[in-house]
Amino acid sequence: MTAVLAKTGLPGAPVVERAEAAWRKRDRWWGLVFVSPQLAGMCAFVLLPFAVGLVLAFAQWDGLTEITWVGLANFQAQLADPVFLRSILNTLGLALITVPVGLALSLLIAVALDRLRGRTGYLLLYFAPVMTSSIAISLVWQQILRADGPLNQAFFRVFGIPGPDWLGDPHFVLLAVSIVTIWSSLGLNVIIFLAGLQGINSNVLEAARVDGAGSLRTMMAIRLPLLSPVVFFSTVVAVISSFQTFDVVFVLTKNGGPENSARTIVYQIYDEGFRHFQFGMASAASIILLVLTLVVTAVQLGLQRRFVHYES
Amino acid sequence: MNSFTLSRRNFFTGALGVGALLTTTACGSTGGNATSKITWSTWGTPEEGQRFKKFNSHFKADNPTIAATLQMVPSYSDYHSKLLTQLTSGTAPDVFYVGDDYIGKFVSAGVLMDLTPVVEGADAKVKLDDFNPALFGAGRTDTGIFALPNDCNPDVFWFDKKALAAAGITENPAELAAAGNWTIETFLAMCAKLAAKGLTGAMFWNYWSTHWSWVAANGGQVFNAAGKFVLPEDPKSVAALHSLADAFTNKSFTVADTLPDGSGADSLFVSHKAGFYVQGRYGIATAEQSGTKDDYDIAPWPTVSGKPGSSGVAASYLVINAKTKAPAAAKTFVGEFLCAKGQTLRLADGGNAVPSVKGADSVVLEGNYPAHAKSFLEMTNTGFEDFATEAKMPGLSSDVSTAMLTMYQGKTSASDTIAAVAKLMEKAV
Repeated sequence: MTAVLAKTGLPGAPVVERAEAAWRKRDRWWGLVFVSPQLAGMCAFVLLPFAVGLVLAFAQWDGLTEITWVGLANFQAQLADPVFLRSILNTLGLALITVPVGLALSLLIAVALDRLRGRTGYLLLYFAPVMTSSIAISLVWQQILRADGPLNQAFFRVFGIPGPDWLGDPHFVLLAVSIVTIWSSLGLNVIIFLAGLQGINSNVLEAARVDGAGSLRTMMAIRLPLLSPVVFFSTVVAVISSFQTFDVVFVLTKNGGPENSARTIVYQIYDEGFRHFQFGMASAASIILLVLTLVVTAVQLGLQRRFVHYES
Repeated sequence: MNSFTLSRRNFFTGALGVGALLTTTACGSTGGNATSKITWSTWGTPEEGQRFKKFNSHFKADNPTIAATLQMVPSYSDYHSKLLTQLTSGTAPDVFYVGDDYIGKFVSAGVLMDLTPVVEGADAKVKLDDFNPALFGAGRTDTGIFALPNDCNPDVFWFDKKALAAAGITENPAELAAAGNWTIETFLAMCAKLAAKGLTGAMFWNYWSTHWSWVAANGGQVFNAAGKFVLPEDPKSVAALHSLADAFTNKSFTVADTLPDGSGADSLFVSHKAGFYVQGRYGIATAEQSGTKDDYDIAPWPTVSGKPGSSGVAASYLVINAKTKAPAAAKTFVGEFLCAKGQTLRLADGGNAVPSVKGADSVVLEGNYPAHAKSFLEMTNTGFEDFATEAKMPGLSSDVSTAMLTMYQGKTSASDTIAAVAKLMEKAV
């Protein structure tokens, strides 16, 4: 008989202790066995690297020689570095472009597909970039965005003036990165919005129609408010994803773009760590990114009370 | 019929017996002569990969007890970050290449084996004296020789006779150089004529050799003997950078790196739209692409006096991981790779570099192409490697080039660029 006792009972009632069933105990152990690979993976690839990164942020280390403790010097150096500050601005700018534009476009497409027959084909088309390697996508877009590439050739044919040097002009590089980022993440948001739209109770929509609400009114007063939890979720995910932009910048611009015009914080982390062998500085930049992400997410969570409607 | 039951004990006994038999057989297959396994890594194009595989085959034939496995990384820019990760995690190859802009860091970090025994002693495949002393750069310190140059590429002035003729230039830069009359003044005048005809004057790659070779050609100094960055204090160096900035902003010079893909430096050169293209022996492949390779020849860097001077020689280094588990095999590999025979094997038949040792010079002169191929050897002998101060700081060379690029593009003045580069050097120190 097991010695493990459980406390049960109603308020005021005497505590009744009963032995835990053997099968329940066995199940619990098996449960632990089944989740242990996931736990081990999480410890090895999430918690341990995070702990190491946190420690390294306060040290100077080139990956080859001894570690030297430097306290807050890495943070001070990063925050005083105009290149790092530029990378923060670029990251925020990228989020400001890609999140609203990307989500608005996805919502429009999802609404259009909601009642469309044969939408599976369209969904596959929109979702294809999500399943494709971001490196492959970036390489293709690199050719499309060339100064003499097909996009500018089409631009010239339509408007009769040469298009911009998307990847060579510091004023356009961030826009070019935004275009590729929006294009590649569109399909995932479309799927999520479409699922949200189709989850709306048809009785509510029917009632609105009976009350004489038109399509626009139904959209603004019924569907969008009911979709707001999904929009909120997508916004949080999109902002975090945008803050982590690296591969597109790495492939499209090779070095963060002319005059660091597309250098993001994650690119800065890579640059400090793997090009300059400054792992302390890279870790400090990672911690700053983490804090920035937490702050922005906290603000979003705070705002959800005003803008997000949860159906009770 | 007798039934046979395999008990657990019998199963394990049998398994151990089979295992022992297989182990004995495996040992027997080498005749008791264990094979040493080493891995070596480098970067390079698929064509270069073929040359390395060819070397591996020859090495295997000559050293049947050593199995050398090649790890090839396509991109130079990704190579050192991968290497750093491997070194940090203890999975680095036994022997590996290091670029001249990173070698100082790896040497000072103490992760490389002293190669002095490889180049000393009666049995050494390649002797220290065989190497061109100008190529050691930051690989050699007071405490030992930690990196040996694989081969090198002096930055020569490839010129297009057809493009020069189209601009009304009748003088041959290679012949002017041979006569001691290849001056900077003459060169700039040629570039101006080319630009006036709508052609590109000279195309340079944006890296240390371009900036510092121009300073040296103008009689200036970049670092002093103690490794201090003295360029800002040297009037000749400052004047040199001003003239370099002017040549780029007036379009006489072009940065090859920033040309659009569709009309890159190679395309311009093979289509006879550029007068000069400054690069190494790998320019042979570019000239061959044109189908009229005899239109091209090479000259050294011009100088103020017209007499031959010293200019940048790019090199890569071969090193041994200090933690290798097969030091003897690694040393044998390095010796074979760098000896005259090994270099000839890698660089013959239109190879892309110049040997770093004596006895393999013939590969440069083979086929009598280009006409003044001897310049490759002369420039290697008188050239200089990336300065140790710069090579000790990972990414510094690249950061300097980024700062220089803004000057080449006319976005910053020469004075501001010198100040910015001085700040980078100061920060690195």
